[in-house]
Amino acid sequence: MTTDTDRLDKQRVADRLDGVARDARALAEKLGLDPYDVHYWIVDHDEMNELIAYGGFQTRYPHWRWGMEYDRQRKQSRYLGGKAFEIVNNDDPAAAFLQESNALADQKAVITHVEAHSDFFANNRWFGLYADEPAAAATLERHAETIEGHMNDPEIDRAAVESFVDSVLCVEDVIDQHRPYADDAPECEGEPADLAARLDDLGLSEDVQRQVFEDGWAEGREAADEREAETDLLAFLARHGKAYDEEAGKAVEYADWQRDVIEILRREAYYFAPQKQTKVMNEGWAAFHESLMMGEEAFAGADEFVDYADHQSRVLNSSGLNPYALGKQLWEYVENTANRREVVERLLRVEGVTWRTFHEAVDFDAVQDALAPPDAIDSISPETLDALDRVDDRYVDHDALDRARGGEIDVARHPWKALTTAGLARRHYSLVKPRYRGFLRSISRAELERTARYLFDDARYATVADALAAVDFEAGWERMRTVREDHNDVTFLDEFLTQEFVDANGYFAYEFSRATERYHATSTDADAVKKKLLLRFANFGKPTVVALDANHRNRGELLLGHEYNGVAIDLPQAKRVLERLFELWGRPVALRTITTEVPERELERARRQGVEPETEEVGLVVRYDGESFEETELGADETAALRADAVDYDTTPADWPS
Amino acid sequence: MGLREDLERYREVGERAREDLAAFVQYGDLRPSAEDAISVPVKLVDLPEFAYDERARGGVGRAEDGPPRPGQPVGEPEPAAGDGDGDGDEDGKGDEAGDGHAGHETYEMNPAEFAEALDDRLGLDLEPKGKAVRERTTGDYNDVARTGPKGTLDFERLFKQGLKRTLATDFDEAYVTEALRVADWDVDDVFRWARGQSIPVSRAWLERRASDLDEPDRWDTIDAMEAACEMESTATRVRRDGVEDVALRRDDERYRHPEIREEKRKSVVVVNIRDVSGSMREEKRDLVERTLAPLDWYLSGKYDEAVFCYVAHDAEAWEVERAEFFGLRSGGGTRISAGYEFAAELLEEYPWREWNRYVFAAGDGENSHNDSEERVVPLMAEIDANLHAYVEVQPGTARRSNHGAVVEDAFGGGDDVAVARVHDEGDVLDAIETILASETEADE
Repeated sequence: MTTDTDRLDKQRVADRLDGVARDARALAEKLGLDPYDVHYWIVDHDEMNELIAYGGFQTRYPHWRWGMEYDRQRKQSRYLGGKAFEIVNNDDPAAAFLQESNALADQKAVITHVEAHSDFFANNRWFGLYADEPAAAATLERHAETIEGHMNDPEIDRAAVESFVDSVLCVEDVIDQHRPYADDAPECEGEPADLAARLDDLGLSEDVQRQVFEDGWAEGREAADEREAETDLLAFLARHGKAYDEEAGKAVEYADWQRDVIEILRREAYYFAPQKQTKVMNEGWAAFHESLMMGEEAFAGADEFVDYADHQSRVLNSSGLNPYALGKQLWEYVENTANRREVVERLLRVEGVTWRTFHEAVDFDAVQDALAPPDAIDSISPETLDALDRVDDRYVDHDALDRARGGEIDVARHPWKALTTAGLARRHYSLVKPRYRGFLRSISRAELERTARYLFDDARYATVADALAAVDFEAGWERMRTVREDHNDVTFLDEFLTQEFVDANGYFAYEFSRATERYHATSTDADAVKKKLLLRFANFGKPTVVALDANHRNRGELLLGHEYNGVAIDLPQAKRVLERLFELWGRPVALRTITTEVPERELERARRQGVEPETEEVGLVVRYDGESFEETELGADETAALRADAVDYDTTPADWPS
Repeated sequence: MGLREDLERYREVGERAREDLAAFVQYGDLRPSAEDAISVPVKLVDLPEFAYDERARGGVGRAEDGPPRPGQPVGEPEPAAGDGDGDGDEDGKGDEAGDGHAGHETYEMNPAEFAEALDDRLGLDLEPKGKAVRERTTGDYNDVARTGPKGTLDFERLFKQGLKRTLATDFDEAYVTEALRVADWDVDDVFRWARGQSIPVSRAWLERRASDLDEPDRWDTIDAMEAACEMESTATRVRRDGVEDVALRRDDERYRHPEIREEKRKSVVVVNIRDVSGSMREEKRDLVERTLAPLDWYLSGKYDEAVFCYVAHDAEAWEVERAEFFGLRSGGGTRISAGYEFAAELLEEYPWREWNRYVFAAGDGENSHNDSEERVVPLMAEIDANLHAYVEVQPGTARRSNHGAVVEDAFGGGDDVAVARVHDEGDVLDAIETILASETEADE
């Protein structure tokens, strides 16, 4: 009985949203997006909690961790009240889930958000690394069947399968997420990959290369490759790993089900990697377009606008670092800087305007007025349709305009339907929005000089008006689309997190002080902020650990190396990982790392003098033999090999707290 | 579906959670964080991974007001709930601030979960006894009503409705004023015209405005006016000027209101009796609390409805609030029967055929001469209850005290009477087990 009512309820909600989804898609396309098709599903509150627990899918392999997530999710929604959740999966077509009980304004917000995500899935190259056609839901379902099959196999101990899955999950992020997923575990013996060339292929900016990889890194890594340094630990395990046989007390070859588990979890790790690598960009992209569509294009009706503003502020206005807000701010900055650059390049070609005289020679108020959209585009209503005949042809969708005149399109509700992409770019031109009014003027002399230096002298304008007439109003959006194709969070932050951005948005870095036992702000310098952000977003926000040797001590032991970048690894937790890894290796496992220590005497000295104590970096190898741990200090050479000399993510200044 | 199983497995895998439960009962902070709530800081079991040292990692913050000064202390980074894997893509959680790792989270256990966990820990399977009574009960605050206590007013809704109303009644005053300046148009004409244009202007406003109008004949016709002026949309105006006054209306007030449900409830009344005489030093009081408080939670987790009474006694007995019960200390002597006499009086309100009853007494075993044999034992036999228990706290000694021994001898461990001895924290869990395991199956 209830299920019938349920279904009817969902059907009703679905019918109501059908037109909304179609309009959202049309608007998204007019804004220049090119999303995968999206299939929308209406689910109830419980189903939504289940989907969230399952990472957005309906079927996953059996595991207690989903239960834990579900439990947490249920508790959260019970105590914190229902929130407008949205789930969308990277798939072609993408699948998105809407919660039945949400208000229409929330549904619209979610739909516009989802369309932008879907565009990102379809066009960002990091998603392309996994597969051109992800077929995600089907793949994950097949995985679930395989693992469940092994668990139900009477020949196999169910608890053993669960424990093995747990062990593999401990290192699920230790993969090579910068490389396309390949079905066969890559062989690295005999064919050391040309890392330098591979780096170039990644299309990273110079800055990033400098930031993340010190000079000679690639060469150094290739040298290490001869010792089988391997960033894809899961693939490495598949090749060299063994299971530990309790009864025999020795390592034995993996059983087939164990190979299945490793390969399945590895494939899932690669599937989810792009999402983890583009969280800031992808969420920012969605928030930016959601705001454009819902707020500025009034996709939320007048009566829903208040609900929407409420929703938006809850998502974006939390305190501290919020990936959604950070991403949206960065995209707005990309848009503004590209638009500013376009305008400045035009203005610098005006007779009498140079980078030195720019601020004096240009009347910025007049420029603002000239850049403002014509009234006919700015406010469109059924009465003003004729005015659209008088604006530039490029801006007007004449076919739609005719249909609007015929009453087929209601421009009172959807004014954007009468415009083309160019027209919408004109209508939403960022530099004339009240909040960015000062942005053009605030360009620094250094930036002006740099722009002037690379300026093609292909056109000169007699007047400012002529120059502005040539401005490409789509420059900002075009730049954004290019950036969304090529970047991931690391390169995105690296390129666009400038001092101007950091100052405008109030970001700062902080560190823990051993002297005061508290966290202190260290710097508002863009470099410091960028370092701390990269630490959080590069390599999934985790320390880089690679496999150095499969035959350590010439006894088939596994040797891992933590590539130290100035920030220590959580050693107690790392030891628990080693215990798990023993299950996957069958023989002793060891991790080389660098720890930071403060001798008691130094702590005392620092406290007396009111300064931050000097830390000592000590190379350490931690070995686990299946029963106990053994810690040995490393020699100077071995320690140096772990240290990434050109990178140091520690931003603690020597002279604080003062 | 699969998730049910995953949830079961999660509970089973929580081996460590149960260990923490024992540690919590013995050493944790038992004071509830909120009325009726138990805060059991059970660690969420999660798998280890290679991670940065939390403190060495530092982070990025965003200044709320004004640029931050380097060196300025900042708050502890908030753990990011659910900032896990970013699998799928969840929107709407504004709480992703902070850099914390989700691996060290705790969650608030409710009494039902606590009872379940304790059952697991002790291998108990205590089913609440029948005695179901049909009762009107109140449920979650899901219904809304137009009146109610101030505290239940849904202000967010009130404000939102007010804001919507304000926006809906807003119109471009300058534009409508121009219509009044059309030659030969009076207020009626303008009012009709405005209605036609769906401008929510009132007649009174028009009359007021018309009374002091300059240039009343600026436009020859309405068409001329419309051609020359353009109406500004509310959205544009709000964006420029903001919203000044939000008209809050009584009509929009909604009060959250509990749902009324009728259902069968299993009810329990628990009487806690404690000796507060001079000999009950802090150490003893603490052990009493560690033993009795978990029993209370356990029972409130087992039953739909639980009532707790707290009786303090020295030579006299009186009822106290829970908050003061465990800390009380008086100077007087000890007469345990005073507590039972008082309990018997209290229980008259909770008829035995409708209520499950538990009577727990605690003290250091001292009693006035012959009181145990002559008065307490008969009273215990007289008071109908699922379970009687006496918790004897004697830090540091293994002396068999008078009262506990008398009760043991009288009931011989049967008849749903338990005596538990607690010498230190390590005995607490055993004592709880002894007491709960003594309840025999319902015999009705």
